[in-house]
Amino acid sequence: MTHKQISTVLKSVSKPGRYIGNEFKQIIKNKDEVDVRFAFCFPDTYEIGMSNLGLRILYNTLNSDSYIWCERVYAPWIDMDAKMREHNIPLTAMESGDELTKFDFVAFTLQYELCYTTALHMIKISGIPLLSADRNDSDPIILGGGPCAYNAEPLADFFDAFSIGEGEEALNEACALMRDMKRDGSYNRRDFLHRLAKIEGFYVPSLYTIEYNEDNTIRAYTPVHDDIPTKIKKRIIADMDSAKFPDSFVMPYIETVHDRIMLEVYRGCIRGCRFCQAGMVYRPIREKSPETLCRQAKCLYENTGYDEISLVSLSISDYSRLDELTESLLEWTDDEKVNLSLPSLRIDSFSKELMDRVSSVRTGGLTFAPEAGTQRLRDVINKNVTEEDLMRAVNIAFESGKTNVKLYFMEGLPTETLDDVAGIADLAKKVVNAFYKNPKRNKSRGVSVTVSVACFVPKPFTPFQWEAQDSMEMLVEKQKHLRDCITDRKITYNWHDARVSFLETVFARGDRRLGKALLLAADMDVMFDAWDECFDFDRWMEIFESADIDPKFYTRAFALDEVLPWDIIDCGVTKQYLLRERERAYAEKTTPSCKENCNGCGANKLGGKNRWCK
Amino acid sequence: MVQIITSDEILEQPKTLRIKFFKKGSLQFISHLDLVRTMTRVLLRARLPLWYSEGFNPRPRLIFATPMSVGAESECELLDIRINKEVNPSAVMDALNRNLPPEMQATEVYYPETKLSELSFSSYIININTEGADASMAERCHTLLNTAPITVVKRSKSGDKPVDISPMVDCASATLDGGTIRINCVLNSASDNFLNPEYLITYLKEKMGVLSGNPMEESYEIIRTGVYFSNKREFR
Repeated sequence: MTHKQISTVLKSVSKPGRYIGNEFKQIIKNKDEVDVRFAFCFPDTYEIGMSNLGLRILYNTLNSDSYIWCERVYAPWIDMDAKMREHNIPLTAMESGDELTKFDFVAFTLQYELCYTTALHMIKISGIPLLSADRNDSDPIILGGGPCAYNAEPLADFFDAFSIGEGEEALNEACALMRDMKRDGSYNRRDFLHRLAKIEGFYVPSLYTIEYNEDNTIRAYTPVHDDIPTKIKKRIIADMDSAKFPDSFVMPYIETVHDRIMLEVYRGCIRGCRFCQAGMVYRPIREKSPETLCRQAKCLYENTGYDEISLVSLSISDYSRLDELTESLLEWTDDEKVNLSLPSLRIDSFSKELMDRVSSVRTGGLTFAPEAGTQRLRDVINKNVTEEDLMRAVNIAFESGKTNVKLYFMEGLPTETLDDVAGIADLAKKVVNAFYKNPKRNKSRGVSVTVSVACFVPKPFTPFQWEAQDSMEMLVEKQKHLRDCITDRKITYNWHDARVSFLETVFARGDRRLGKALLLAADMDVMFDAWDECFDFDRWMEIFESADIDPKFYTRAFALDEVLPWDIIDCGVTKQYLLRERERAYAEKTTPSCKENCNGCGANKLGGKNRWCK
Repeated sequence: MVQIITSDEILEQPKTLRIKFFKKGSLQFISHLDLVRTMTRVLLRARLPLWYSEGFNPRPRLIFATPMSVGAESECELLDIRINKEVNPSAVMDALNRNLPPEMQATEVYYPETKLSELSFSSYIININTEGADASMAERCHTLLNTAPITVVKRSKSGDKPVDISPMVDCASATLDGGTIRINCVLNSASDNFLNPEYLITYLKEKMGVLSGNPMEESYEIIRTGVYFSNKREFR
């Protein structure tokens, strides 16, 4: 389907630029000359999907093999989706304009639990059978990957396989298997999936049967073949310096969320915040050298024309050679008028020098994430940041003329009391007071402190994976309590919808039985749950009722000895370590970072160069 | 490859360079702001010696003549940029075209002797593929576009209000070409007196019900074909 055939439709929808493709540096191959066609789908809008670094990396690595043509697919926004269904316009890939049924693989990156329905909707409007069991040899293989693949059990009925961990090598191996089997004529779905399950890092859910206990918890996972692993070990890239990284990006015409060069500095995290899934599943830490990074940055700058470079990692100030890196980048970025931005700055690392060096900090507002309102609770979650750290950071900001500060918190954290909630208001008030006590502040303006409070979601592979989520009523009560505690009009208070966080927990810790609910949701064309304009909580409750599922089963406290839906996955970090960390949390004891001390999380068994845990 | 920069000396005063380019096919769907962003990146990729504004947040200066709205194609868009070193215009054009997609390519690059504000008129071709297009429909279109008043509802900050756009239509003709109704017209397009050609479609839709059928079968295109001074001489 070309833009010409649907030009009248495009003239009637919002932001038609997101459907046209034809971007600079998109990769076009001759479809008759490739062996494997791979549709990389992002189950959200173009503007969000084009901002995803993982997709950009994998687009590059897949296409670096000449026999593979990887194309991009994004979800049409609701107005376009309605027109497409009205006029029988199929979902197509950006590069070739071909329908997804023509591809060997249709792969989804699963970044967030609330995109599951959008992914299923995309399969549905492509004309591919929704259930894995209904597909035959001529249908594409539906793959999933990304952070949610660490527990993608709710999607097990719909996806043929999941790629666990980093995909740069694994996906090309899956394509090679496909090519070989097609070449020697041995390809059929069943044999392909069986052989795929033997490649490290691939989980084929249909090859594992699950038995349940009478109380609905899981009794056991059993592989149906003897020659496939009982636990799927995640893949990592051992050496980040030699790993493929794009030398150019597909350049969007329309404005996207992160419209700049994203330079991945390292993978993993040394911190170990106990609520954070990313901090656990991306271990072990592996850094790139400043030489590699500078080379990649320069190359991307010349090939894209972007005037901003964002240094991407889970916590940029933990990069062991940050000074060296920024020094050598600044040697040319200032002359070329290229801005450097450092997102994910920790409060305890914020300094005057850094602030002067980094333009995003110089020009934009400042955001800090204390996460909890009292020291006790910050120790429970192992945030390792103190009130003094925060006061020091905001004073530096105020002295250089800043008058806006954003503070991120979570509510509903394990062991949290109303005093901890009130602590958020106290802390915000102290920031306001610090401004007026600071003689070097910008006296021409008042201060504005924004407090944003998310609801805690217990996630798989974290020390808090067993915790109950506060009931929605409790979360709302705590939100009200905080609202009552905030009396200063210089403080703006935002909070997340507890119902969204509830649904997130259900799918984050869900098992295969949720497939029934997702199938009903797909029938009702539920999608874009992460968007306020589409999220419909009451409809979800009706869906759970029709599917005879109690969603609260998934927000309860999980027993420490029960089989967890994600026990089938080995992410490197061991359960023993998570249990130890959980005990320390309840003892209000912090754990030092990997830089200070190896805490024996287990991720080092996966290998990897340039890490702290030698 | 011919060098872009002909002298490394920094000019005392920045010079203006004019780029004429077409923008068609799928690129009709990107907005003016998207075009600005895209062109800024193209200029950086092409390594042109751009002049940057002074101050806290230095930016290159890009000025476009009479921006088109989303859904319109053009054979003659104009962009003025400022440079701080002498360049070879044809080398600039080659560098730009290597960095532009096939549907948007520069056709001329030169040091202009005029200001973009002297541009007064644009000519357009509007093709309407609608059900029941025939000679008599074309004739009715022709009559409608040549009879004052041509009243359309214009959106403005103070709300929607009916406006007679006929004084801004310099000339318009409608003919039948195959199964297509083709409108040739010249419309005001000075920056302070600009008529969006889309209004002619709106008017014909309302008066004649064109393009009210299946959008998979009916379509229209708007193509800007030329730009002119107030005396109708071709703008350069």
